[in-house]
Amino acid sequence: MLHIVDDEAVVRDALIWLATSRGIAARSYDTGTQFLQQLGAGQFDADGDCVLLDVRMPDMNGVAVFDQLSVRGLTQRMPVIFLTGHGDVPMAVDTLKRGAFDFFEKPFNDNQLMDRVQEGLANSRKAGEMAAVHARLATLSTREREVLDLILAGKMNKVVADELGISMRTVEVHRAHIFDKMQVKTAVELAGLLK
Amino acid sequence: MTTMPPEAAPRRRPHSTTSLRWLLPIVLVLFFLAILIWLPWQARQMESNERQEQLIADTLWVEQTIRFQMGRDEESLRSLGVEIAAGHLTAAQLHERMERLLKNGHELLRVVWLKPDGAVAGSSDPLATPVELTAASRATADITRKTRQPMYTQPEAQTPNQAAAPSAVLMDYHVPLFRGDDYLGDLVATYQASALLDEMVPWWFAQDNQVSLVDRDDKVLARRAAAGPGHGVYTHKRALDLPGASVTLVTDSVKSEPQLLPNLLVGSVVALSLALLWSLLALWGHISKRLAAEGALRQQMSFRTAMENSLVTGLRARDLEGRITYVNPAFCQIVGYPAEEIVGKLPPMPYWAPEAMSEYQARFASVLAGKVTPQFETVFQRPNGERVPVLVFEAPLVDNDGKQTGWMGSILDISDRKRIEELSRQQQEKLQTSARLATMGEIASMLAHELNQPLAAISSYTTGALNLLARSAQVDGGLLKPALEQASTQAQRAGQIIRSVHEFVKQREPQRQQVAVASLLDDIRALIELQARQSYVSFVTEIPPDLPAVLADRVMIEQVLLNLTRNGIEAMQEVPPDQRVLRVVACHDAATAQVSVAVIDRGHGIPQEVAERLFSPFFSTKAEGMGMGLNICRTAIEFHGGSLTHRANPQGGTIFTFVLPAVTAAAAAIAEQET
Repeated sequence: MLHIVDDEAVVRDALIWLATSRGIAARSYDTGTQFLQQLGAGQFDADGDCVLLDVRMPDMNGVAVFDQLSVRGLTQRMPVIFLTGHGDVPMAVDTLKRGAFDFFEKPFNDNQLMDRVQEGLANSRKAGEMAAVHARLATLSTREREVLDLILAGKMNKVVADELGISMRTVEVHRAHIFDKMQVKTAVELAGLLK
Repeated sequence: MTTMPPEAAPRRRPHSTTSLRWLLPIVLVLFFLAILIWLPWQARQMESNERQEQLIADTLWVEQTIRFQMGRDEESLRSLGVEIAAGHLTAAQLHERMERLLKNGHELLRVVWLKPDGAVAGSSDPLATPVELTAASRATADITRKTRQPMYTQPEAQTPNQAAAPSAVLMDYHVPLFRGDDYLGDLVATYQASALLDEMVPWWFAQDNQVSLVDRDDKVLARRAAAGPGHGVYTHKRALDLPGASVTLVTDSVKSEPQLLPNLLVGSVVALSLALLWSLLALWGHISKRLAAEGALRQQMSFRTAMENSLVTGLRARDLEGRITYVNPAFCQIVGYPAEEIVGKLPPMPYWAPEAMSEYQARFASVLAGKVTPQFETVFQRPNGERVPVLVFEAPLVDNDGKQTGWMGSILDISDRKRIEELSRQQQEKLQTSARLATMGEIASMLAHELNQPLAAISSYTTGALNLLARSAQVDGGLLKPALEQASTQAQRAGQIIRSVHEFVKQREPQRQQVAVASLLDDIRALIELQARQSYVSFVTEIPPDLPAVLADRVMIEQVLLNLTRNGIEAMQEVPPDQRVLRVVACHDAATAQVSVAVIDRGHGIPQEVAERLFSPFFSTKAEGMGMGLNICRTAIEFHGGSLTHRANPQGGTIFTFVLPAVTAAAAAIAEQET
């Protein structure tokens, strides 16, 4: 989902049209406050989220909105692309350093923007997956984490059992739990997940 | 009139002649005084000489008288002696002869005949008493016997002589008696010295003179005193020629020296000359006072002249008929006519500008009526047709008696001031322009943002459309249409923005001209009323008919008015229709020489937080607004040297007021001249 935050109705409308033409679902907000409110209530999109943020807005400007997202730790999950007017470049660079995904100076090349939006969405998806993996990892017990680390190191169950001083059988039970909790079928799949 | 005869240069020269001029009378007066002192002295001297001579003459006469009398006595005594010697005189006859002698000459004290043994042979006294001769007398007797010549003895005080009064000074005359060679003795006549004087000096002489007889040692033998103030002033000595005796007659006039003051002539002359001197001194004092006053006056005069000449303010005096009686050089310089061409003229004056003739005439009529405008601005015309804006102050001219004799006007040439005002206004304009350019930077950045919106939108719509077309060759036109329509709208919007900015930015020298506010409004009335009708707003203008024109760029002010009226109309869209009245009210503030125009709406008013940013560029409360309107308006008004302000309407709504400098008569003249 592309979140377009701009005070200009025309710009919002045009960007939605553009995103739609590229098959990207988009939603617009006329103020930063409105966007942050909706964000607080809603869920992440499985296709990823990306934010197009106009820097200059009355009420609450783009940087303030970005700062709010930073505070909430959402800048990875929702990559922010700034849309800046003339003269806002230094500010935009500053935000880049602080974790903004990209910035585009108006007037921008629309398809390049959309390309970046798609990259942002991909990143968002990846971040979403990472978040999911980490959430699964968090469900592992301490012993299971030790077993997991050794499995990822490519060691056989027997070696794992020797190193941890536990029986083969116990290692297998842990391994089954780990695969179950991490929602994978094979060790290769698990390694791919935690790459 | 204005050019005083130059007197600074020759003023020094009379100084030397003045001293010469004063020298002569002083010398004359001194000479006069010298003569005045010398003349009485001389007169006195002459009088004194005269008296002395008179005394000498009188003394001579007295001496002659005495000498004559004594000579007669001598003669008588000698004839008596001859008779005695003849011896035919009886004793009685002798006595009788002697007595007769005494009677004839009262100066004689006695006459005796002394025999050579000293016995008295005959005496004038009835009782013959022995006669004791003094030593000197006896010596004389001896000499006379030897010389057979009669002789006098030196007179001396003869106290032993009982016949004489004590201390009487007696003098003996011895006549020796010889009969042949036979010495018979001496006939001795005794004179009393005092009696000599008493008997022989006439009374009129004795009255005025003290007469004395002195011996050779200046011992006084006899004195006939006279009362009088002066002693020892006029004296004369004359020796009495007496054989054997040295006696001098001394006269001493009792008259004192001639007095100076009682002399009437001298007195009056002195008094008159003193009076003359006094009057001369008084005259001198008066003259020097007048000279000092004259000098002070001249100095004051030249000071005043210098002051008037140095003034840059023109001065003009007129009498009650309006005739010019005096102008100073500054005035001549202002109007460009020499003083002689103006002074004495009656209106119309040569420096009256034809176009303002009626104004002069009206003012002159009020001057004749005894009223003047104490201060006014007007225009004078120079001979070359150049117009001079002037500021005139007029006040009554009052003489010593407090009677008004005319009018005194001071005239200030304000063309310099006007020029400076113009210059500073141009400077102000330049400043405004640069200020405008400074805001241009701001505007440019905002413009970029502003233009970016429609451009970005256009770009997005077209890119999106192209994206759709790229996906499949067959795209439904209906799908593309809204995007293209939007793109077109945004392109128009961008053009609009560019146009409005261009209007503002374009480097057009504003055409400043005299514009009546009413005509400005008339030009745009149709536009305003169109907008007003659409919003059901009634539009009312209140322009006083005598409102002065303003010097302004017509288009700019019209833009301002349009902007303000549109704002007013839009502000009233939410209020009940009966409240929707937009008023434009103009008025003239004579004190500040400004025309103010108020645009009054009864709309929603302006909240405080909006009011603070009202004139900031790109601040707008309207969805479609660019935020440039009021900013541009204010810049335009300030460009004209005015100001744009707003305040809340007490009846609800807002009053926007702009003021512009009013065109004055003098400024109008300049503007006319320039064009």
